[in-house]
Amino acid sequence: MVSLTQQPSTHPLADMIHCLESGGALLPDSPDNVLEVVGVLKSYGVVLDAYSRNLIYIAEQQFLVLFPAFKYFDGEVSLKKLLRHWWHDRINYEYAEYCMKGMLWHGGGGLDDYLDSAEFSRRTEAAIQAKVGGTPMQLLHKLFSNFLPEQVRQLAYYSGLGQFWRVMSDMFIDLSDLYDQGEVQTIADVVAHIRDALVEAAALPITYAVTIKGQTYEIIPKSVGLTFLADTALPYVEAVFFRSFPFFGTVSYNAQAHQISEKPGDFSYGALFADPLPIGSAGIPPTLLMQDMRHYLPGYLHDFYMQGLRGEDDLRVKICISFQKSMFCVTTATVLGLMPHPLDTTDPVQRQENRTHLENWMDRLLTSRLADVQSE
Amino acid sequence: MLSTLIWAPVLGATVIAFLPQFSNSERARQAALAIAIFTLGWTVFLITQFDISNAGLQLQETLPWVEPLGLTYRLGVDGLSLPLVVMNSFLVVIAIYSSDPKINRPRLYYALFLLLGSAVAGAFLAQNLLLFFLFYELELIPLYLLIAIWGGARRGYAATKFLIYTATSGILILAAFFGLTLLTGVSTFDYAALQSQALPLGTQIILLVTLLVGFGIKIPLVPLHTWLPDAHVEASTPTSVLLAGMLLKLGTYGLLRFGLGLFPEAWRVLAPWLAAIAVVNVLYGSFVAIAQTDMKKIVAYSSVGHMGFVILASAAATPLSILAAVGQMVSHGLISALLFLLVGVVYSKTGTRDVTVLRGLLNPERGLPLIGSLMIAGVMASGGIPGMVGFVAEFVVYRSSFSVFPVQTLLCVLGTGLTAVYFLNLVNRAFFGRLPENLANLPRVYWRDRLPSVVMTVLIIFLGLQPSWLYRWSEGTSAALGRLTPSPAISHMAPLPLIETVAVNPPEIELVSTPAFENFQHSALSLE
Repeated sequence: MVSLTQQPSTHPLADMIHCLESGGALLPDSPDNVLEVVGVLKSYGVVLDAYSRNLIYIAEQQFLVLFPAFKYFDGEVSLKKLLRHWWHDRINYEYAEYCMKGMLWHGGGGLDDYLDSAEFSRRTEAAIQAKVGGTPMQLLHKLFSNFLPEQVRQLAYYSGLGQFWRVMSDMFIDLSDLYDQGEVQTIADVVAHIRDALVEAAALPITYAVTIKGQTYEIIPKSVGLTFLADTALPYVEAVFFRSFPFFGTVSYNAQAHQISEKPGDFSYGALFADPLPIGSAGIPPTLLMQDMRHYLPGYLHDFYMQGLRGEDDLRVKICISFQKSMFCVTTATVLGLMPHPLDTTDPVQRQENRTHLENWMDRLLTSRLADVQSE
Repeated sequence: MLSTLIWAPVLGATVIAFLPQFSNSERARQAALAIAIFTLGWTVFLITQFDISNAGLQLQETLPWVEPLGLTYRLGVDGLSLPLVVMNSFLVVIAIYSSDPKINRPRLYYALFLLLGSAVAGAFLAQNLLLFFLFYELELIPLYLLIAIWGGARRGYAATKFLIYTATSGILILAAFFGLTLLTGVSTFDYAALQSQALPLGTQIILLVTLLVGFGIKIPLVPLHTWLPDAHVEASTPTSVLLAGMLLKLGTYGLLRFGLGLFPEAWRVLAPWLAAIAVVNVLYGSFVAIAQTDMKKIVAYSSVGHMGFVILASAAATPLSILAAVGQMVSHGLISALLFLLVGVVYSKTGTRDVTVLRGLLNPERGLPLIGSLMIAGVMASGGIPGMVGFVAEFVVYRSSFSVFPVQTLLCVLGTGLTAVYFLNLVNRAFFGRLPENLANLPRVYWRDRLPSVVMTVLIIFLGLQPSWLYRWSEGTSAALGRLTPSPAISHMAPLPLIETVAVNPPEIELVSTPAFENFQHSALSLE
């Protein structure tokens, strides 16, 4: 006989599971949390807009440029811009490339599969021939036939991540506008907005084409059927939120001593696990993102940060803490968006499947900073 | 002219202490700072009037005071006292600047600081033994009160211990001075008059031993040092800065001025023992510092160790080693003041000085990154890393003392290695690693917290790169003092066979007529 009342979960994160089942989020609802999350997502939206434009520019306009010295200039090279670049008064596009490389390295999803297919090789070869035919690079291609196709694979990820962030940027700016209009007031509203936008964009096609000597070469045509949610969003969440790379800056891992798992799938060094405190130390990639976001903080969030003990001094750490909170909201939206059945289903079997789905996600968050964001 | 250094702060202290508008702590601080800066400016002016080619006393002032007692108001400055007077004026500015702007009883506090600076300057300038003693004793009162009123939890104990020890020191010094005048039959306490008197060697030794114990408490020599760590731990940061930076130097200055200056023959006899005590100071101070967990105690015991270098160079008593002793006094004054300033900032922001609790303070946003970086610079300077004043000072100490006391010098070199051990331990524990959660919300560090340390660090590096600015003032006086103990006697007296050493490196001891630092450079070149 099947019990109609579901038993409490015995998962170590059972509280979170029950919270999600009852319509809550991975981040507790409070006016401060809403302010932080929306504010930081506003600045993130502005930064993502720049990242996205640049990634797509590199993929399309810097196609197989051997020394892309001006790849961060979006085609506008001027002395003034160059001086600003050297003065470091600029967006750190390196962070976008870091995320792109994370996705490329960890793979997953339809994009990864397609890049190893015969169709991709055929299409890439045509584009390569058009680009390098009659140039010294042709010799390079003949000698190292895998080199240029691998570059194109990377450029495909540039384009894929650029298209993914295009959607996310608009989504976060819209969220901020709704907050300013008073239509978003709780964490549940934030999660609902993101979840709805993700579901709405889920089937958007991911394509990639380059124009060489007036002719367009489709590297990823629409007919391949790559879509926003399954082929870019989920691999992104996997690569950037969960796995990332084993380098926190202040901790040196010894791979020979097996301090790093041999299976990339076991990696847990991503945004949901990152320690915000060492921000600013050498070699910590999120520092670049925090540095970029600090330029575009909305006034109310800046004022909120100024109330802290350290004022401007630890701005990037505060941004990172808020950013991590916002990423738990995005994760909540993703988890809820991927629920096999509606949250409010009364069918015990469906509820059990939902429970299993949540428990699987929570397994991966066991060592994350989920507990920390509950209290911060 | 020299009187200004003594009376301007006294006048300022009086005004601050008695005018009610200085009850506002910020106003009192600004007034005290203005007076201290004026005094420093006057000191700089005096430097311009100082003739480095003259080894004797300069800018002298004499006024009769209590003639029947032999007490005259006689001031003068020479190469031995000038660097210390300058450093005193400078550290008073630093100490007042780094005082808590919201300190309780500001009128008394700043008045005491100015009096302290005045008394220390007076002691360095006094050329009458009784006058020196008066200033030496006078300095105890403000320092005692500064520890007893604004100190830590056990301030009463520490201040009383300090008072008992240093008052004993004063009594012994006074006894030696009285003994000297009684036995020589001179009716004055004037330094110059007493310097030309003769006494049997045995009597000289007794008087010198009395002085050694008296000044040894102040330096402090092991085992007379136990007041120092307690006083440092309980004293507030600005008091510690002056205590380590200047007050200890009164002891070594007194030893050189009155011990070596008045009893050169006896000095020759006692020098090997003094060098042995220096070794004990260096090694004991270093080993005890290694065992400490309180940052302030580590720095305090490092002071015990580093003052050992001054003793070693003083014991060697060659022209170059006297110069080295002066250099090491200034170097230690600057470096220990910097370290105490930094420990003070760490304590005021974290609420603890315990290196087993502190961790990860170099964290770039939530820690104390600049303070940590300056701390690393400070411990490098203390450990004798080239490019900073600590290296120059210690190198000259070793270079000058080795020819006289080779074994003792080598043992002291070991102390420099041990400095690296305890200070790297401190830096490693408190500054590296991940900032713990309980320290993740430290109060903001303002530029006014950092400025004194930044200035000190710049000076430490500057003098490390341009050491002649440190040594040029003292060359003449050091050469004259070094001549008081001729080299053959030392080589005869020394407990170890030094003939070979002297033969290998004769210019250092024999060419005393040339300025010692140049002499050192010549001998260093001749070794290549």
